[in-house]
Amino acid sequence: MDVKHVNPFIESFTTVMPQLGFRNIDRGNLSVKGQEINYSGVIIILGIVGDIKGNVVYYIDLEDAKKIASTMMMGMPVDELDEMSQSALSELTNMLTANAATSFSDMGIKIDISTPTLLHGENVSVKMSSSQALCIQLFAEEIPIEINIAFEN
Amino acid sequence: MVETRIVIVDDSSFSIEFIKDILEKNGLKVVGSAGTLEEVKKVVKETRPTLVTMDMTLPGTDGFECIRAIGEIDENIKVIVISSMMDDEIVKKAKKHNVSSYIQKPIDPDELITAINGIIAVEELYQLLQEEYFIIFKEALLDGFNRMTKTLITYKEEYSDTKEYQSEGMTIIIGIIGNFSGRMLLDFSKDVAKKMASAILRKESVTKDEAVAVLGEFANIVSGNACSILNQKNKAFGFRVAPPTILHGDSVLISPPSFPTKTVIADTVFGKLLLNVGFQRGEEKWM
Repeated sequence: MDVKHVNPFIESFTTVMPQLGFRNIDRGNLSVKGQEINYSGVIIILGIVGDIKGNVVYYIDLEDAKKIASTMMMGMPVDELDEMSQSALSELTNMLTANAATSFSDMGIKIDISTPTLLHGENVSVKMSSSQALCIQLFAEEIPIEINIAFEN
Repeated sequence: MVETRIVIVDDSSFSIEFIKDILEKNGLKVVGSAGTLEEVKKVVKETRPTLVTMDMTLPGTDGFECIRAIGEIDENIKVIVISSMMDDEIVKKAKKHNVSSYIQKPIDPDELITAINGIIAVEELYQLLQEEYFIIFKEALLDGFNRMTKTLITYKEEYSDTKEYQSEGMTIIIGIIGNFSGRMLLDFSKDVAKKMASAILRKESVTKDEAVAVLGEFANIVSGNACSILNQKNKAFGFRVAPPTILHGDSVLISPPSFPTKTVIADTVFGKLLLNVGFQRGEEKWM
């Protein structure tokens, strides 16, 4: 894992989120995680192939996910994570990852991304293919979003 | 092969005739033409074309309003803009309206025909994929399962719906990327996972980590084989698979993607197994 592979994701977050109505963007901790992560909440997975192969796993707490979906839908109240808000969140990760892919290509690394798969639940273990994942926490209007980047060597 | 039916939208009868002539000389069928928003709605509803050529400047309306109206009638109808105006802003807006191609007037017949052929090729490729992919994935699962566990599977009910469903315990997700992108998903209970892993590894008891590792590899082989077969059918697919991600937990709900997928339930000696696969039409790459 190369730490510089995190930068395209930070860049895309700071570019995409303001376009969706999130003005304050902050950067949190960068950490290295093991192969298996445990989450309760919303998990969205995208595959990556090309010069790099791996997966990107987004994690948002359930309540936070509703807030993000609500902002994306022009402030429409979201009481439950219904189909519409799930679709909004999937689309969000699609935009974030596609934007990051463009930054990668500017770095001379060509990658393509798969469609996102969204799951939610309690106490979900996520096992990724590479032995380590880089985890960056980013904030949009103080709502934390975790991006785990697991690339194979 | 489906016949390509085209509607021409332009406010100049000269342009309509000119475009029609190019299309017909190249064996394409023009089924109608329109010059106003009302005419566009009417002719598109009546003729259900595969493709519409769209002028941008029209009396009382504009190309984008017409494109939106066409999308409301049938979102699968492709649009090519043919306009004398072409600047960054309008092209960007056209892209947002899912326009398949943008051609500037005066029209270069070769450029127009190349653009249309490109759209038809992608459409036919997607049709081929829709017809073939699920049969191929089912075969790949059957074959992989048989070779690795030395047992058979029987397919039970098959459906395509868009409801959220609850995982039986363990889910393996594999992203698929090529000319279209999609994903394969396998789902089974933790008990089935352990039994399957123990059959594949040919040993009595397996740890959770071993089960996760071997089933990830199993899913990788199944999806990889299916994609190879699809690529052999038509190398334009160019499918590659991302590494597997394996999830297990309490009451995991998996939401349906925005595109159609197909699901089949398989009966195995170890218990029930679910296979779900789907592909998205994908964005046009014209810039």
